[in-house]
Amino acid sequence: MARILTIEDDAVTAREIAAELQAAGNEVDCVGDGSVGLERALAGGYDAITLDRMLPGMDGLAVVSALRQAGNATPVLMISALSDVDARVRGLRAGGDDYLTKPFAPEEMAARIEVLLRRGAAQRETVLRVGDLELDRIARVARRAGVELDLLPLEFRLLEYLVRHAGQVLTRTMIFEAVWGYRFDPGTNVIDVHIARLRRKVDAAGAAPLIHTVRGCGYSVRAP
Amino acid sequence: MIAGSPVEAGRWRSSTKRLIIAYGAFFVAWTVVLIGVISWQTARYLDGIVDGLLEQRVRFLSSVDRGQLPALLAATNQLDLRGLMASGLFDAQGRYVAGDVERLPANLPVDGRVHPLPEGVERTSGERAARMHAVALRLDDGSVMLLARDYGVVDRVGAIMRSSLMWGLSLTLVPGLLGGYLLSRGPLRRVRRLETAIEPVMRGHLGARLPVSGRRDEVDMLAAIVNRMLDRIESLLGEVKGVSDSIAHDLRTPLTRLRTQLHRALQLGGGGDDARARLLECCIVEADSLLDRFRALLRISELEDIGRRAGFGPVDLADTLRRVHELYAPLAEEKAIAFALECGALPTLCADGSLLFEAIGNLVDNAIKFAPQGGHVTLRAAASADGRVTVDVLDDGRGIPAAERESVLRRFYRSTASGAADAAGHGLGLPLVAAIARLHGHGFTIGDNTPHGARMTLHCWAADVARAGTEQEQEA
Repeated sequence: MARILTIEDDAVTAREIAAELQAAGNEVDCVGDGSVGLERALAGGYDAITLDRMLPGMDGLAVVSALRQAGNATPVLMISALSDVDARVRGLRAGGDDYLTKPFAPEEMAARIEVLLRRGAAQRETVLRVGDLELDRIARVARRAGVELDLLPLEFRLLEYLVRHAGQVLTRTMIFEAVWGYRFDPGTNVIDVHIARLRRKVDAAGAAPLIHTVRGCGYSVRAP
Repeated sequence: MIAGSPVEAGRWRSSTKRLIIAYGAFFVAWTVVLIGVISWQTARYLDGIVDGLLEQRVRFLSSVDRGQLPALLAATNQLDLRGLMASGLFDAQGRYVAGDVERLPANLPVDGRVHPLPEGVERTSGERAARMHAVALRLDDGSVMLLARDYGVVDRVGAIMRSSLMWGLSLTLVPGLLGGYLLSRGPLRRVRRLETAIEPVMRGHLGARLPVSGRRDEVDMLAAIVNRMLDRIESLLGEVKGVSDSIAHDLRTPLTRLRTQLHRALQLGGGGDDARARLLECCIVEADSLLDRFRALLRISELEDIGRRAGFGPVDLADTLRRVHELYAPLAEEKAIAFALECGALPTLCADGSLLFEAIGNLVDNAIKFAPQGGHVTLRAAASADGRVTVDVLDDGRGIPAAERESVLRRFYRSTASGAADAAGHGLGLPLVAAIARLHGHGFTIGDNTPHGARMTLHCWAADVARAGTEQEQEA
C-alpha cells in the first residue's frame, strides 16, 4: 500500500482522484492549498504526489521546485488545465515527473501514478522476465520459453515498455508517449493494431497469454 | 487553398487622372470660347473705328473745294506712312482723275456708306491689299471719290490676341496635366501598397492591418475605415470561434465526470452480467469519441490562436516519414492495403517535429480509412532544386470532389461523396492538418490521384530556404 498526497483545490476533482487511487488500494491525503501541501510533502512519508498547477496560496510550479530544492525526490504528477506544449515543458522542467491535462480519465491518472510509484525498480536490469518471457535489453532479443521471437525493432521497444511495467495498467496514450515519443491522439485504433500484432508473436497459439487487455482502459503484461 | 486573384495592373486609373483629363478638356473648350468672344468683340470695336474714320474723312473731303481735292488726296496718302489708306477720284464716267487707285471697284455701291471689300483695290503701284473697307461718294459735279482702308490690321490684332491666348493656354495646360499625372501616381502607388498589405488578410490572417501614413488624407481615411472593419470582423469571428470553443471547453468537464461514473459502474459491475458490462463499455466508447472531438476542436483553436513557433527546430523529414510509415503500416496491413513509402534524400525542414508528424500521420490515417480493402496508399516526398519539398499522401479510394475541397477543411464537415459519413472519425482531421500547415507557413492542397482517389499534398520549404525567405520578408 502506497501513501499518496493529493494537492488539489477543486473539491470534486480531489474526490475523484482520491476515490480512484483508493480503489487501487492506496492511502490518500487531500490538501487544498499550495503552501500547506508543500509543508506536508516536505514532512515526508509520501510515495507520490498529485499536484494541481493552479492553486491558492502557492502556485503548483513553485511547490514542485521548492520540493526539489529541499532535496525531496518524491515522484510528482502535475495536473493542469493548461494543455499546450509549453505549459507541459515548464511543468516538467520545474521538477514534475509526469504531466496530465484536465479533464482526465481517472484510470489514466491512476495508471500514471502506478508507473511513478514503481519507477526505478526495473530500470537498471539488463534482462527482464515475465513468466517464461525473457527480454535481453543489451542484445535486443526476446525469448519465449527459450525460443527467440522474431520482432521488429519497434515491436521490441513496445514489448520492452510493457514488460518493464509488468503488472501495471498502461493506457494507449501512455504507450504512444513512451514508445513513439509523441503526445497527441494518433487516431483510430493504431495502438490496438500494434498490440494485436505483438500479441500474435508473443502469445502464439497454445502459450498462456501474457499481454492482457484492460477493458475500457489499456493493456497490461502479467505472468499467467 | 484560397487564392485571392490579384488586382490586374493595367485596368485601374486613379480618380485624379480622370479628373485632370476632364478638367483639361473643359479648360481647352472654355479658352476657345473665350478667344472667340474676345476676337469678335475686338473686331467689332476696331470695325467701328475704321469705318468711322473713313466716313469722317469722306465727309471732310467732299466739303473741300473740288479743285484742291487731287492735291489733298495726294497729301493724305503721303501722311499715311504705313500705306493703310487708298484713295481715288474718278469723273462721272468712272475714268481715273487722281489718287493711287486707278479703277473704281465694280461691286462697290456709290452711296457714301462704308462697305467691306474682301478682294481689296488695286493701287497704281500695282499692290493689292487683301481685305479692305471702302466708301464711294458721288460729289456734286458727278465725279466719284473713293476712300479705302486696309482691314488687315484688325485681322492682325485678332491674330496677336489668339496667339497670346494660345500661349497662355498651353503654359497653363501642360504643367497642369504633367503635375496632375505626377500627383495621380502617388495615390496609385499607395493603393498598391495597401493591396500588398491586405493580401495576408485575403489568405486568412485576419490580424494584418493596412498601413496608415499619418498624412491624414483620403487614402489614410479609407485605410483607417478598412482597419476598423477588420477589427470588427476579427472580433466577430473570434466570438463565433470562442462560443464553439467555450462550449467544447465547458462540456468537457461534465462529460469526463460522466465517463468516470460509467467507468466506476463498470468496475463495480458485479460478476457475470456480461450484457450490462458491454453496454457500459459502449457508453464509455461513445463518451470517449465525444471527448476526442472536443479535444481536437480545442487543439485546432490552440494552434490557430498561439501562432507559436517555440517548438520549431530542424526536423529530419525522411526520418519523420519513416516513423509515420512504421506507425501506420500495421493498420494498412489489417485492411490488406499496400502502403508504400517513397522518398529519396530530403533536406532538413524547420518545423515543430511533433506537429509535422501529427499532420502527416493524420493524412495517412485518412488515406487508410478511405482506401478500399486491398487498395493502395502511398506516402511520397520529393525535394526540388529550389528548396521546395512536397509530401504527398495518395490513396485509391473515392477521392474528394473538387467542389468539396474547401469545405472539408471546415470543422466537422463530412464529405458525403467520398464516403466519409460512413467512416469512423469526427471530421476534424483535415482542419487540424490545415491548421498545422498554416502555423508552419506550409501550403496544403487536395487533389486527384490517378486514376481515382485523393491526393493530399503538403508544400514545405527546406530549412535554409525558409529562413532566407523569412529574412527577405523582414527586410521588405
